[in-house]
Amino acid sequence: MERLKTILSKVLGIDKNSISDATSPDNVENWDSFNGLILVSELESTFKVKFTMEEVSSARCVKDIKGYLRKHGVALEGE
Amino acid sequence: MRVFKRLSGEKKPVQSAKTIKIALLSSFTITGIKEVLGVKCFGSGLTPEFYEAPYGQFAQDVLNREGPLYQFNADLTILFVDTMDLLGEDFFFPYRLSDDVRKKVADEKCKEVSGWVKMLIERVAGKVLLHNFKVPHYSPLGILENKQEFGFFEMVKRINNGLADKFKNNSKVFIFDYDGFCSKHGKSRIMDNKMYYLGDFKLRFDLIPALCEEYMAYIKPLTLLTKKCLVLDLDNTLWGGVVGEDGLEGLKLGPTPEGRPFLEFQKCILNLFDRGVILAINSSNNPEDVDKVFREHPNMVLNKEHFTAIEVNWNDKISNMRSIAGKINIGLDALVFLDDLRSNREMVRSALPEVLVPELPEDPAEYAVALIEVNDFNTLQLTDEDKNRNRLYALDRQRREHRENITDITEYLKDLKIVVTIAKADSMTIPRISQLTQKTNQFNMTTRRYLEEDIRRFTSGTRFYVFSVKVEDRFGDNGIAGTVIVETVGVRWRIDTFLLSCRVIGRKIEEAVLSFVIEEAGRRGIRFIDGEFISTPKNAPAKDFYKRSGFTFKAQKEQKEIWEFDVSQINKKPNFIEVVWKG
Repeated sequence: MERLKTILSKVLGIDKNSISDATSPDNVENWDSFNGLILVSELESTFKVKFTMEEVSSARCVKDIKGYLRKHGVALEGE
Repeated sequence: MRVFKRLSGEKKPVQSAKTIKIALLSSFTITGIKEVLGVKCFGSGLTPEFYEAPYGQFAQDVLNREGPLYQFNADLTILFVDTMDLLGEDFFFPYRLSDDVRKKVADEKCKEVSGWVKMLIERVAGKVLLHNFKVPHYSPLGILENKQEFGFFEMVKRINNGLADKFKNNSKVFIFDYDGFCSKHGKSRIMDNKMYYLGDFKLRFDLIPALCEEYMAYIKPLTLLTKKCLVLDLDNTLWGGVVGEDGLEGLKLGPTPEGRPFLEFQKCILNLFDRGVILAINSSNNPEDVDKVFREHPNMVLNKEHFTAIEVNWNDKISNMRSIAGKINIGLDALVFLDDLRSNREMVRSALPEVLVPELPEDPAEYAVALIEVNDFNTLQLTDEDKNRNRLYALDRQRREHRENITDITEYLKDLKIVVTIAKADSMTIPRISQLTQKTNQFNMTTRRYLEEDIRRFTSGTRFYVFSVKVEDRFGDNGIAGTVIVETVGVRWRIDTFLLSCRVIGRKIEEAVLSFVIEEAGRRGIRFIDGEFISTPKNAPAKDFYKRSGFTFKAQKEQKEIWEFDVSQINKKPNFIEVVWKG
């Protein structure tokens, strides 16, 4: 979870402590479509996974991201 | 965009006075390029300003005479159109067209693209960097692609060749070999397909820094950040081993697995030399040991004559760097230093931050590639003077040695048998004259920078005279090493520009040239000459030149001093310089 939070805070320019499962484009100003794709790219290179287009288009919040990471076999530490 | 600062691998931005305006025109989403390029510019000491065409509107921008693109008036306009966007449906179904039609389409597309470029160069003062087109790596015909009379791949290649031909001799347009860039990084991994479908990104994010680095190779010379001299360490840099310990026979240099990296590294360096980059040595060694390698090693590619300044001694590397800059008469900011020892690199970097010190990889096998990646030696034009510069500098070393034999300076100058040839600027000399105004810092009275277009404008009317100054002596031809630009204002001449390359200063050539200007003014019925001097941090050698030459101080207008000369006054000139006027 720590690594995920680091990436989210870095790409979206938000405080790590403010991140929860409900964090989403609706409540983060910087989370536009471009930063969303940057986020995808950073997650893929950090966790060595490749999301499908379907996953990228359907992810709505941090909870969804965690779900897809787990689906690709990523163990999110400290949850 | 913090993530891009990390992606681009650059240090913290520093604010700087030098600015560059860059316009980015693309047929697809290029978000990210501006950000990374911005960081790279800051890293090189430039403050960039960007204009980015709105998504999908680059062509409208180019066509809109009154639009924001032309109001921005960029120094560099980058036109990056993708093959897919250019060809549209023909990209997917090229073989629905006949061979003939395919050829016709290629020619039309080539015309369309060069049309955009022509509009751009007519309306902006700066340069244009045009991407060529990625030749696809997949054909709808599979393995039969190259069995066609005029195939799909040939179609794209024809567009690329056509564009290359059209702009080969145009000094405002540069073609960026994007097809080559794609090959270098692997055509199949240029796009992240998901990002392409989701956001029309036709270049994957992690290649943006590499692309921007390629752009920097154009931006650096455009903003005169070009480096002039490569300073080399010897042991474990130019050859493997330490000559003082391993001896001549023990050095790794030659056609062996351990020797070949150094051999080929030297070949790379020789290529730079041939292109006009000055070479120098900064090494801690016994001079006799090094001389022996130069004299006797059978596999040395470089010989002593290739080096303009040689500092082989036990002084510290920092004083040696200073001494090299002094001997060649260039600033420390024109030097690049290569040394295999991290500690030496760190030392020079921290003591002399103006010197560029690239990382040299641990493994000599990577040396040649590391040197090729240094894009700081690029110039936007290669004049004959550039190609010959090194011969000239090598001659200069002989001159210095000659000077050491003669103690009296006037004797020395007399003995040089200097001939100065002055001529009106013409199409052959205009590129060099413009280059001199751009690059000369020391003996430059006004430091006004002019483009070729400016010089051409001066020469087309009757108000301005532009003179080129060619300098020869017994050691050889220095080529065009100076220029004078004067403007006629009634019975007066205003000397707008008076400069001499640092290579020929200190030989009283400036006095000979000025006395020619005075004589020529007299012949044309001019009564007074106004010499202008604008002080800069670098032009101390030019200070007081007009005063020394008998001009009287007339006025100070902000930074500008104006010095006046009455043409009927006595005109002193050095009698040992022969001046030839080719009017």
